[in-house]
Amino acid sequence: MWVLRTLLASLVILVAGVAALAVATDGFRAFTSETARRIDVREHPRALPSTPLQTADGQTISFAELRGRWVLVDFVYTRCRTYCSIQGTEFAQMQQRLAAPIAADRVTLLSISFDPTRDNPAQLAAYQRRSGDRGAGWIAARPTSASGLRALMGVFGVTAISDGLGGYVHNSAIAVVDPQGRLIAIIDWDKPAEAERYVLRGEAP
Amino acid sequence: MTVSSRWQSWRGPALWCVLVLPPVRGALESSIMLHMLVQIPLLAVAGWWLSPLLPKHLTDTLPAWNRSGISGIVLVSVVALFWMLPRSMDAALEVPWVEVAKFASVPLLMGLPLAISWPSAGFVVRGVYLVEVVATAFRMGWLYLISPQRLCSNYLLGDQQGLGKAMLAIGAAICLLLAWKLMWGHIDADGVRRR
Amino acid sequence: MASLTMYPDDEHLTGSARFAFNLYMITAVLLVVVFMLVGLTMRMSQTGWVGVPPKFFYQLLSMHGAGMVGTMVLATTAVMWFFLRKYVRLHLWAFVTNYVMFMAGALCIIFAVFIGGYAALWTFLYPLPTHGMGMWSPHASALFMLGYLLIGVGELIFYLDAAAGIIKVHGNLGRALGLQWLFGGDINPDHPKTVVASTSMIIANSLGILAGAVVLVMSLINIFFPQVAIDALFAKTLIYWFGHMYINAAIYMGVIAIYELLSRYTGKPYPLSRVFLWGWAATTVLVIIVFPHHLLMDYAEPHWFLTLGQFASWGSGFPVVVVTVYGALTNLWRSNIRWTMPPRLMILALFGWVAGGFGAILDGTIRINLVMHNTQWVPGHFHFYLLLGVLAMALSLMYHEVGRRTNGPPNSGSDRVGFPVYVIGGLIFVFAFLAGGHASVPRRMAEHLQAWTFTDKLGSIGAMLVVLAMLYFAIRITAGLLRSSRSGGADVGAADAAG
Repeated sequence: MWVLRTLLASLVILVAGVAALAVATDGFRAFTSETARRIDVREHPRALPSTPLQTADGQTISFAELRGRWVLVDFVYTRCRTYCSIQGTEFAQMQQRLAAPIAADRVTLLSISFDPTRDNPAQLAAYQRRSGDRGAGWIAARPTSASGLRALMGVFGVTAISDGLGGYVHNSAIAVVDPQGRLIAIIDWDKPAEAERYVLRGEAP
Repeated sequence: MTVSSRWQSWRGPALWCVLVLPPVRGALESSIMLHMLVQIPLLAVAGWWLSPLLPKHLTDTLPAWNRSGISGIVLVSVVALFWMLPRSMDAALEVPWVEVAKFASVPLLMGLPLAISWPSAGFVVRGVYLVEVVATAFRMGWLYLISPQRLCSNYLLGDQQGLGKAMLAIGAAICLLLAWKLMWGHIDADGVRRR
Repeated sequence: MASLTMYPDDEHLTGSARFAFNLYMITAVLLVVVFMLVGLTMRMSQTGWVGVPPKFFYQLLSMHGAGMVGTMVLATTAVMWFFLRKYVRLHLWAFVTNYVMFMAGALCIIFAVFIGGYAALWTFLYPLPTHGMGMWSPHASALFMLGYLLIGVGELIFYLDAAAGIIKVHGNLGRALGLQWLFGGDINPDHPKTVVASTSMIIANSLGILAGAVVLVMSLINIFFPQVAIDALFAKTLIYWFGHMYINAAIYMGVIAIYELLSRYTGKPYPLSRVFLWGWAATTVLVIIVFPHHLLMDYAEPHWFLTLGQFASWGSGFPVVVVTVYGALTNLWRSNIRWTMPPRLMILALFGWVAGGFGAILDGTIRINLVMHNTQWVPGHFHFYLLLGVLAMALSLMYHEVGRRTNGPPNSGSDRVGFPVYVIGGLIFVFAFLAGGHASVPRRMAEHLQAWTFTDKLGSIGAMLVVLAMLYFAIRITAGLLRSSRSGGADVGAADAAG
């Protein structure tokens, strides 16, 4: 009797535990928060807030104004000498490869700084210049308020932590925003070709 | 009630209260190593120390469902598995209710059930559990060391690899300790008879 | 002191204990026959006598390897249980749990191989199981590994129960090994050799199982999350730690049968000596660290590690072998032994163990290993000590038990025919492998060149004889174990030994 009861109790705990783990890992697919955000974005596209953004040439824009075209977004801070500087070059190269759809107003590239106190329009412009900006279709911008920054980082799922050397470590990626202004996919930062296929042919990776 | 028995009743809640203090919480969550190897084990200890506060009718009825402490140890293992997910670590930092769940579940569903179950677990149940603990420490350590990416968005890669090495060291230490005790120690489980 | 009574009362099996023992031993002999047939099929396909598609050959090879290693450990676990339970309290539930988990694991492995098409061999070397290239799915590999996990945990439960029993009597494992008598002191002559050998294997094989538990789960994680790439060389190191310990445990658990039974048949006491304790203490350490000798061709391993493998394999074979063979021979010397099946099998086992071990020591030498390790020398040596050594140890206990249930030690006419058929067939079979190794025939190959088929044919003929003899043994033992016990059998046996 004791044995049966213990067996029953253990079985119930085990089944409940496995069920809880299944829920907590999106059916054993996502064990890290990074995978989880990608799955969630893919399965539940997110509407974007119309946070005002100040661009490198001092203008103010928002996602609402970018509706009607695909937007590829990354988050950077311009002092960064590692990932963000490579990302900048990468965006400049995409600018060249996607020149035709950019000219047709079907695609825009957007780099958002998560360090807006330091990244003023001049710094943003310098970042683009260093990266080899081709002139059209790549916007670098910063949120104009702390609450706007929080809202954007929250909806894109961006986490930036201090690297202990005065800079940041962050989950770099390329975010895909569709013409309806929804965040629909997050792609590895080093796979621009996947992002290009997405905006050119609507192919999900 | 003597001073020491009163202390035994209240040291669990006291430890929990210390851990929940914002500066302590902030410090212990500042690195993944402190988070996983100090904060969570201490929360479990706080739960273990809660056992004297358990109502008597529970301590009387639970053993019927917990022969040799097996159900309790299954519960502890499942909850431990949950808090070993890198995703849970991130969520605890980012989502307030997950943090609350951690502060509740680690003492109540890990520490306390272990305190209730361990004394009734026999040599075999304890042995299987400890071997699994050692194996898990080695597996986790190995995983953290080879993972090319950060598993937690909130912690640095170097910190993660440090945790990997610490896990391997902890696994090896438990293993050596157990081996030493079994080979040369005095084990009085079930009353050792000498011939 | 192990008594010289042929069938002592404290070994008498009743009720569920008898049922469990029969279950172990009958399962073991039947599985051995089945897996021998699998082996024979492979040998015959190499000669070209039967056509086996190469893909199926590797499935058979995986089944034969995993199956035989598991079955040897199953049988010798029953040997350890049978004798150890006289000295310490063992719980039947632990013994039965091991059987149930073994069978569950065996089912997983059989499904993985024959339904899933798994053919990455018993060593599941990373990353082969994940790269079936369409021949098997990663899920088949996962099922195979799950099978191993179940078998490993079952064995661990049995060991832990045995450790608990030993510790209750002897205080700790060190005292059970007799470490307190290594440098002096009066050795307790009643300290059982069975306890020494069992303790040694509990320590060594539990560590092996721990290594297995780590590498199996890491391999499983890799199957489901291929981006988690594990270090192939380190994985191989752990796999061999696990695999080496597991099959060696079969030898050292099996030898308990010789310690317990030989003196009953020779009628001479077989006392515990300090040398014996030293032999086992040394072997306990060496057998844990000897596994690098499987990795001598992995030049990327650190040199100290490979050197350790070479020296430990020179050392680990010797102590227990020398102590046991010397002890057994002095026990045999001028004894009035009556040659029946159990002592025949025991002497065969000692020969098989020593001769096979000699081949192992040669292969464990780096210079020789570089030339011989990928040849049939290797299956030659391990079949030598498994077929003619370990299996014979387990069979000797089975025959001994059959004797208890009939008219004393079995020695029927068909036994007297079956035994030489087994020995001669076995020798032809293993020497065919060794000769193949001498001729540089590679091992593990489905297709053989024409020039290699002579030894293949010889091996097949030897294997046929072995299968015939083993089939007879299996039937004889199954029938014998299922017979109801004769009352008063113990006295008959004792009288027999005295005569």
